[in-house]
Amino acid sequence: MTPNLTQWHPIASSSDLPLRHVFQGQLWGRELAVWRADDGFVNVWENRCLHRGVRLTIGLNEGRELRCLYHGWRYANRTAGCTYIPAHPADAPARTICNNTYSSLEAHGLIWAAIEPGETFAPPALLEQGEPLALRPIPINAPAELVREFASTYAFGTLAEQTDTSLTLEADGTSLMLFAQPMDAGKTVLRGVLTPAPADRMAALREHNKAMSALRDQVEAVAATMEAPEPVAVPLAKIDADLASMPERAKPGPKTELRVTVAQKWKVAADVMAFRLEAVNGQLPTFQPGSHIDVGLPNGLSRQYSLTNGPGETDHYTIGVKREPESRGGSACLHEDVKEGDVLAISAPRSNFPLRRDAVKTILIAGGIGITPILAMAQTLHAQALPFELHVFARSKEHVPFPSLLDEMGKQVKTHLGLTAEETSATLTDILQGYASARHVYVCGPGPMLSAARELAAIAGWPEDAVHFEYFKNTNTIDDTSSFEVALARSAMTLQVSAGKTILEVLQENGIAAPSSCEQGACGTCLTTVLEGEPDHQDVYLSPGEKAENQKMLTCVSRAKSKRLVLDI
Amino acid sequence: MKLYDYELSGNCYKIRLLLSMLGLEYETQTVDFYPGREHKSPAFLKLNPLGQLPVLEDGGEVISDSAAILTHLARTYDASGMWFPAEKAAEIKDWFAFADEITATSSAARLHDTLFYDLDIDAARTGAHRLFRQLDEHLWFAEQEGQSWILPGVHPTLADLACFPYVALSEDGGIPRIDYPAIRRWCDRVKRIEGFKPMSGVFPTSRAA
Repeated sequence: MTPNLTQWHPIASSSDLPLRHVFQGQLWGRELAVWRADDGFVNVWENRCLHRGVRLTIGLNEGRELRCLYHGWRYANRTAGCTYIPAHPADAPARTICNNTYSSLEAHGLIWAAIEPGETFAPPALLEQGEPLALRPIPINAPAELVREFASTYAFGTLAEQTDTSLTLEADGTSLMLFAQPMDAGKTVLRGVLTPAPADRMAALREHNKAMSALRDQVEAVAATMEAPEPVAVPLAKIDADLASMPERAKPGPKTELRVTVAQKWKVAADVMAFRLEAVNGQLPTFQPGSHIDVGLPNGLSRQYSLTNGPGETDHYTIGVKREPESRGGSACLHEDVKEGDVLAISAPRSNFPLRRDAVKTILIAGGIGITPILAMAQTLHAQALPFELHVFARSKEHVPFPSLLDEMGKQVKTHLGLTAEETSATLTDILQGYASARHVYVCGPGPMLSAARELAAIAGWPEDAVHFEYFKNTNTIDDTSSFEVALARSAMTLQVSAGKTILEVLQENGIAAPSSCEQGACGTCLTTVLEGEPDHQDVYLSPGEKAENQKMLTCVSRAKSKRLVLDI
Repeated sequence: MKLYDYELSGNCYKIRLLLSMLGLEYETQTVDFYPGREHKSPAFLKLNPLGQLPVLEDGGEVISDSAAILTHLARTYDASGMWFPAEKAAEIKDWFAFADEITATSSAARLHDTLFYDLDIDAARTGAHRLFRQLDEHLWFAEQEGQSWILPGVHPTLADLACFPYVALSEDGGIPRIDYPAIRRWCDRVKRIEGFKPMSGVFPTSRAA
């Protein structure tokens, strides 16, 4: 029997997948880990953590993420992308770390799947007609073709139709479809569906269970006399095409390669609009709490916005946009011109503000629209029942964004309204007192508040690596009058950076694929390792300690104090 | 109360589970089952002439056999009466017999694979699969009737605890449970009973939704 890997088969019943369970299935020799997320979505993945190959069916379905039992790697609902690696708590996992998934669909009480994408699939038309009843599936130690042969003799009416994967029997206005799911060459699951569902459901389930079990015993008796077939040969997983081919020559500037529809635009505070963005095609990429995206606007500008989504909310992205009175065209365009139904170009999410999930306690501090990345973090900690408190500073109650989401998190959220600069400092001092080991604080908000919070944290004894922050923008005046030489160690190139040009611009002009996003020294996307030379740091992303170490720099604004820099590019 | 215990024994684990679920304090005395064969030593044979684990000392009483110990603990310490209800006593004893069959097959396969016992491994595995087919069918129909446990009712009984360990440890003996989805779901439910403790080879599960 040659496996037909693009062929669709029912591989589980809907009732096999209660919340917080991981079902173990198999199709054509491939084991499947099948789990329903709390939002109802059914994930059909290869039953193998890509890290160390341990079965995901002994992992933990936590409702929004699946956690591997071995090293605790977490994978997101829908995307199967890795969201957290406990051994690297301070880092965001690379977006390319993703488990293998299979095409799947839930319909008529069954989960349907194919190993390889190919034909578009529609469930049998017969099942569309009424509310069908899935019978108890019967695993059989025999090849699928032998099971199918015996199934055609199943004592139920007359044989009405037979296809490669199923046969249909009819009796007294009721149809019974039987499917032989090839688990492996010598193993099959016989699945039955009755349409319409009979009045006495339990009696029908018991009757068919008895008859199908008897059929199993017959088939197994015959199969036992035959030579056992060789198991289906499962090739090693293919390398991702992105990893196997040379990347294309990079185009300069932020990459907004995804297309999303504005599915909903609504007001979430006095001057803040939220946008629900849904993919035009396919699945949106994995994000981690604290991630941001570049949004390409109809007026040609590109702006960065944090995702506010909670974990597992992988069918859309949500951003919150404050109308800046002195908008340079970004927030004005989103508030006034962009409508529901419009298509926008966005980048894949980047995580330069990652959240540790190993803190004894996490303190989240948000000022105004700085709530957006903090909201994603709070929902993650809340879903995992990790200890945290969230402090929201705003001008008034009407200026607190996303109040309904904050309400859901209950008393862990404290709001501080209408405070003066002095009152804000006093409140921050209270919040930040009592540093202890393995506590972490995350701050996002307006520049002055952020600087105050960082200073007060330092006074209260918080070490720099326990204080995490994200600025919206870099308000430093950039001095770009220096000129110097940049040597690229990996690319074996030496380039001249003249006054008025940034390192990033020179890299991009010379065809180097250097990632960038905000291009003003705030987001950290262009962070680069410095091998030699002394950088002239002008960003707000690195901490003073990191700047003093001179091992990393942002190429979009920072320059050189020495005549020459050697970068790890 | 003292439990003569061996960490890797599923039968001892049954007792540890119920003690934990009832919130009882107890001390353990480790018996070197492997490789020391201390359960066949003259000193231990005085406690249990059959030379089997577990053994429980409670007050002046010395009780052996896991089902007898479970019954004793439920009768003595379970004020709710839910673990061993009088009206289900006969059914529960039927399931004790079923659990003994699981021990004779699934546990035997595990002893063969992990502690090098010399026995007919094919017979042990085939026997376990025959029992798991029955148990899966029973639990599948229980689910369809809206039930969670081996016996109908809102609370698990000793039947669940007697059957659980050597089902959950079957993969140690080369007996996969991929063909028994209803058993796999029932294992999740047992793991969510308050007071549940894992053991080597029995993993925890996630919190309920």
